[in-house]
Parts: sequence; structure tokens; C-alpha cells
Amino acid sequence: MLPETHNAARKSVLSRIAPEDFTGRDEALNRITALASNAENTRGIIVLAAPSSGATELLRQGYDKLFHQPETDVAPVYFNSFEADGDAETAARRFLHTFLLQTTAYVRRNPALIHTQPTLADLTEMLPVTDELWIRRLIEKYERVRAGSDEEAMVRLCLSAPGEAAATGRNTVLLFDDAHLVEDLGGRVSLSAELGQMLARSGSAFVLSGLRRRSLDVLSYPETQATDVSILHLENLDDEAARSLIEKLSRRLSVELNDATRDLLVQQFSGNPLFITAVVHAARRSDQPLTSFLSCQKAYVDDLMGGRINRRFDSRLARVAPSPVTRRTLLRLLHESAMGADGQSPLESWQKRLSLTPDELQNLLGGLHGLELASRAANFVKVSDEPVWRDYLRAQYKTEVAGEPRARVVAEILLDALKRAPGTLERHYRRKSALALRPLLERFNWQRVPASLLQYERFNQAYAGREAGEVANELAAEVDLARLPQIVHTATAASYYPTADFICDEDQYIVAHGFDGDSYTEAGEVVWIAVMMGGEKAAGRGVIELWHERLMNLARRSGFKRIRVWLIAAGGFTPEAIEFLREKDVYASNKLQIESLASRLDAEVQNSISVESSSDEFEIVIPMGGDSELIAANAVEMIARRINFPPEAINQIKTALIEACINAEEHSFSPDRKIYQRFRLESDKLVITVSSRGVRLPVNSSNGELGNQAQGDKPAQNSSSERRGWGLKLIRSLMDEVEFERVDDGTRLRMTKFLRPSE
Amino acid sequence: MEETLSSGGPETVSSRVEGGVAIIYAGGYLNKINGERTKRECRDRLQNGCRALVINFSDTEIVNSIGVSILLGVIDAAEEREARLCFCNVNNHTAQLFLMLGLARHVYLAPTEEAALVWLNAANAAAPPVISTTPTQRH
Repeated sequence: MLPETHNAARKSVLSRIAPEDFTGRDEALNRITALASNAENTRGIIVLAAPSSGATELLRQGYDKLFHQPETDVAPVYFNSFEADGDAETAARRFLHTFLLQTTAYVRRNPALIHTQPTLADLTEMLPVTDELWIRRLIEKYERVRAGSDEEAMVRLCLSAPGEAAATGRNTVLLFDDAHLVEDLGGRVSLSAELGQMLARSGSAFVLSGLRRRSLDVLSYPETQATDVSILHLENLDDEAARSLIEKLSRRLSVELNDATRDLLVQQFSGNPLFITAVVHAARRSDQPLTSFLSCQKAYVDDLMGGRINRRFDSRLARVAPSPVTRRTLLRLLHESAMGADGQSPLESWQKRLSLTPDELQNLLGGLHGLELASRAANFVKVSDEPVWRDYLRAQYKTEVAGEPRARVVAEILLDALKRAPGTLERHYRRKSALALRPLLERFNWQRVPASLLQYERFNQAYAGREAGEVANELAAEVDLARLPQIVHTATAASYYPTADFICDEDQYIVAHGFDGDSYTEAGEVVWIAVMMGGEKAAGRGVIELWHERLMNLARRSGFKRIRVWLIAAGGFTPEAIEFLREKDVYASNKLQIESLASRLDAEVQNSISVESSSDEFEIVIPMGGDSELIAANAVEMIARRINFPPEAINQIKTALIEACINAEEHSFSPDRKIYQRFRLESDKLVITVSSRGVRLPVNSSNGELGNQAQGDKPAQNSSSERRGWGLKLIRSLMDEVEFERVDDGTRLRMTKFLRPSE
Repeated sequence: MEETLSSGGPETVSSRVEGGVAIIYAGGYLNKINGERTKRECRDRLQNGCRALVINFSDTEIVNSIGVSILLGVIDAAEEREARLCFCNVNNHTAQLFLMLGLARHVYLAPTEEAALVWLNAANAAAPPVISTTPTQRH
């Protein structure tokens, strides 16, 4: 028997990185460890991981934390390497063995046990007293089933271990790494299906981690149980976490670094933890600092040619194409496609040159897709444009297929990497300083903004040469407002038209699909094509004519029906360009307009955020009917008094609210028969929002009117539509601002009463 | 003096008749229910021979748009029967509402019940009915 350890809490069990160096994954790690206490009412997590995003280390860190968390008394079990098992039965047997070994190690608080390889017979010698009975019983069953050579029975028996353990009070958290690889297992039994059934039945908490493009297709967890399963998306690290990773790693490995090279590596590898770690280790191996672009690229190329990065891509290609002959042809095809137009080549040439059966080709392409190395798009295969992958392809092709001297290949790749480096950082700095177009469009959300923010000529006439603060004040007073669409999808123009990214930065040329008006109708569909042109000078007519033509071409090629072109030039537009903008009815803005728009939309967002946290915000939900609107009216009276509205204004507010409630009641088929009201007090106004679910009021999209009753006309007594006209007329007369908003399931009326200075 | 209560309390509608004039007390909240009650009371009084109506709003705190539309129906009913109609004790806010919705163009708003009765007596002497656009104030 192995000796017990008493200071296990401070030792790594499965993790390969010290916990303090494991960066940017706190939230993910907390979600996994919370499974032990069921703190989030989730029994299972499916991790959808980007390639090389560090899912394995995340699970290993999770394992260690759970192992050293005695207060929950839940044994973690980590299981991986399905591909090595070959078939479902072998994988299942190994699972049983792993499960028993790791559970025993946990119960005995002996992490060293995990790294031993005892047989089941050996295991029976070291069983903890508390768990001896169920483990012995399980091993006996195992021996009996093994004698019968029934594959399905064996798989089920092995997978029953967590259930057997749970039945005797031994709870576990099962951590399956690279779980998408169950798909590759041979045998008569589908381990994926059996695993899904086991997880649903056993009651054990679990994490299924795999590549994001494959996992959901492969992992079958019964849908009826899926409410207790959550998804965790694991992407590359964000800039801050990636910077922290490099700093910690270089400190630990004593590799000198500076801010510029740190930022370069973060941007060059887009926060990919594997690539970053590989390069710092490469620098350590060669005992070189990472203090210049040259030293960084040398370490990179060194690793690309024969280090971790090289091995990672090698193993991926070997997984996709196990046969060396096929792999060689695949390498050639991938390289040629990458070099071709748009990084793609016809599927037909892949079929011809790989000499695979349709199923084999399908599997190969599926493997490339899952690993995000290449994807099939219609009749083409497109190679991923991820720069490290492209460098690897080029290097491998030249050395392995074309037989070029290694030294020459290294020199070429190094020269190119060095040439790219300044551009990588420059692009990053430019993006940081530029206004992000996509988030701006996504915040439009049917908000009204001063129309001049989208009309350069008008803005220029009104505000040229004025102070920013002054401009902001006057914009706030503008009465001509433009209603923005609600943007529901944005993508770079390059996503529609691959060569578009050669024209300008991808993030500065955006296609945004949305809806005008208040509702999701075909007539309201609109596509905004927005481009932020480079340069600080005023854009001339020639430039914008060219851009306009490009945008229109993009619209034509993509089949967009209704479009709105929005040209943005930091320095504005020349008089000739303005003439063109007028002719073509194109929206145009300069930097100040964009900043004003952004801050205005920000203010809206801020308002909605502060709504949640403000102490001057009240909510009331009343049932429809039974004069309950009077309760709301009394409530709003108390609220309005807080900022000293005079009695006359309070009466007006009360009446308007009563009318709003009547409207909500009379003109919706509300399923819950409730009226939701929110009252927000600000220093100078009271904002009331009244909403109900159900059928939406027929708002006139052009002006938000719901119909009108001529003053003094006597409506037919039973005409509810005419009465509604009266109610709305009253609301509009009594309140200062009234706006109807259509929401997904109903109508929302927002009305504002201002506190007059004299009041 | 003849007095009949349709129902008790300020939340409901009541009425009485004085010298051939029916005086109807609208409830505290003139909504659809109380509006219909008021209208029914008026109609009944007219059918029973009253030639003039006073609707007293002294208990009425709030009138909603449905209540207003029903009051317009009362005005129509009175016109059909060539009966005179007067509102009284309308609070300032409700008076503004009547003005806003044009109701005040069709009915005289007296400050008090007594003033309403005086106005009706005077008006009986000099037809046709007088229409005021100036709301009177109770508060």
C-alpha cells in the first residue's frame, strides 16, 4: 500500500500549471467546482472549446480544486484519451479502472495513487473501509461479465460505476476531456449513446469537454434531462488575461520581456494560450530573451519548425489522415488551397487527388472542420486563415513535400513573420483608438437620435468650429430626430465578400441586418452597410464615389433588397463629396458625429443600466380589472410627491396612468392578465413605463399614433377603438413625452412628465 | 322633497328628484361601471317624467375616458328627450378633462348644485339651452 499524504492540499494532482499561473479562466473554473455543491442548480456542463484554448488544463485544474475541497466530499474523476482505446469496450473498461482508482485516491486523500497503475486485483487491496463494499461488489460483477464476452453488457457494467457509487452515498464529479473523440471509437456499441444514458441516470455531476465544432453533434445527452445542463464556451484568452499569462510565465521561466513584445505576442496569437506558452518556452529553451520583435519571431519559428506548435499540428493532421500517403497529399492540397484565391479550392480536386471513398473523404473533411483547419463551403474546401496554421502548412509543405532545404524555409518564414509583426501591433493600436463600428450598430435598438448625426452636411453647417460641449448641448435640444433600426445581426463585409478585407480593416467595414419601424416585418427589413474610411483628412468626391460603388456592388452580389449606406470619414467630407452624398441620399458622419452618436447611445444604455440599480425606481404589477388601476394611480401619486410635483401635475399623471392601464386591459389578449409598471424618478422628471403581454396595439409606425378622435366629437358608446383614441389623446395631452414601443410579446408605453422650473 | 337612493355610499351612484329635476350623484371613480350606472339612473329618471338632469360630481375624484364617453351618451339621451342637463361640483382636474375632450361644449358646468338648479330654472324660462365653454371650479 502506498503511504498516505497529509499535505496533499498544496500539491498538484493532475494540473500542469501552478494555480496562480492559470490565467483568465476563473469563472469557468468556478462553474466546474460549483458542480460539487450543486450551487448553480446545474448537474452537468458541456464545454465547447476552441482548438488549443486550454480546455484540458481547465479540467485538470478543476480536478485539483475538487480533490483539495474536502468540505464537499465529492470525488473528482478525470477521464481522457478516448482515441487510444480503439473501441467502446476498451474505453469503458479503462473508465471503470480510472473511476475506481481515482475514487480510492480521493477517499484516501492520496493523490500519488492516481499516477500508479494497479490492476483491479491490486485495487481491492487498497480499498478504503467506507467504500469497500460497493467496489468489491462491482469488481465481482465485472469478473462475471468479462467471462461472458458480451460487449454491450460490459460497456454498461463499466459505465454503471458512478451510479453504484452514488447509490451508496459516494458522490462524484466526472470530468470527460476530449469527449468528442468518442465518435472515433470502433465496436458494435455506441459509447456516446451509452455515456449519455449513464450521465442522465447516474445522478453524478459531470463535465463533457470537447471541440466546439464537434461536441454537440457527437455527445448525446437525453434531451429530457437537458434542463440541468449548461454550456460553457471556451475561447482564446482576452487581451488582459493573455498579457497576464505571458507576464507570469516569463517571470516563472526567467525569460526577459518588455511591454511591446508582450503586446505583440498577445496580438500575434490572438490570445491563444497554447501558442503563447509555446513561444515563451521556446525562448527559455534557447536561453534567449523576448525583448525584441526579432527574438520573439525567432522563438516562434523555432517552435513552429520543431516545438510544441509543430507537434500540435502534426498530431492533428495525423488524427485526420492516419495514412502517411494520404497525409502527404492532404498537406499538398491544403497548401495549394491556402495559396489559391480566397484560400480555397474545388472539392472535386480533393476527391480526385485523395483517392478516398466518399465516406472517407467525408470523415477527413469533418475532422478538418472540427479542428478548425479547413471547412467545406458548397463545392469548395476553404483553408482556415489562422496565421500560425498557415505558417505551419507552408513550412511543412516546403520541407516535407517540396523537399526544400530546411534552412531556407526557416529563413523565409522568419523574414515573413518579422515583416508582419509591426503591422500586427499597428493594427491593434489602430483598432484600440478607433470607434468600434459593430458594437455601435448593435446598440441602435430603435432609438431616436438627432438626425444631424447621420447627415454630415447639416451637422457641418450647424456645428463646424464649435466646442464639443456646446455641440452636445445643442444636439440634446434638436427636435428633428431620426429613428435608428434595430440591428439583429452584424458581420464584417469580408464575411460576405472575401476580398473586402483587403480594402480596409475588417472591423471597419460592416454589414448590419435589422428592422426599421417597430416590428419584425418583411417591409421593415433593412441592411445597413457602414464603412469607416481611413485617414484624418476630409474625404473627397473621388474616394467616396469609389466606396459607394464598392458598397453597392456588395449589396448587389449579396442580394440585399433595402439598403442604407453609411460612410464615415474621421475628417469629414469635401464640398464636392457632400454634393455626391446628397445626390445618392447617403448617410455620412465624421468623427465628432460618431462620438456624439456613441455617447448618446451609451447614455441610453447607461439609463437602462441605472434603472436596475436606482433607488428611485419602483415597479408595480397589477391584475387587469377590478379597478386595480386606482391602486397604480395612488402609488404614482406617492412617488410623484417625492420630487414635489404640484397637485395639478400629479392629477395629470394619475389620469394618464389610468388611461394607460385601461388601454393595456382593453386592447391586449394578455395571457397573464397583468399590467407591468415601472416608475423612474429623476431629478427633473418622472418616467412611467406601462407594458402588458399579448396582442400589440396597432401603432402607426410613422408617428407612433394609435388613432385619434376629433375633439368634441361624440363617439358611439360602444366603439372601443374610438374610446381608445380618447384615452391616448388624454395621455398625450397630459404627459410631456409619450412613446409606444413594440416589444416581442406586447406593447410598451413610455411616458414622461417633466418637473417645470416654476414647479 | 322626494329622495330615492339607488345605492348607498359615495363609491356608487345615487339620485334624488327635486321639483321635477333629477339630481344624480356620480360615484367616486367614474369608470365604465359607474358610468353605466349613472346613465341608467338618468334614463330612468327621464322615463319617469323628469325634464331636467343635474349630475353632481361632488364625490367624484377621478373620471376616465370610458366614463367621459358614457357621459356623452347621457348628453345624447337628454337631447333626444329635450331635457336640460347640467353638471355640478366638478373638480378642477375633471373640468380640464371635459374641456380637453370637448365635453364642456355640450353641457353647462355649474359650481354648485344650487347654482345648477338656479341655472336650470332660468334656462327653462329662456330656451334654448345654454352651452358654456368655461369650466367652473369646485376646488
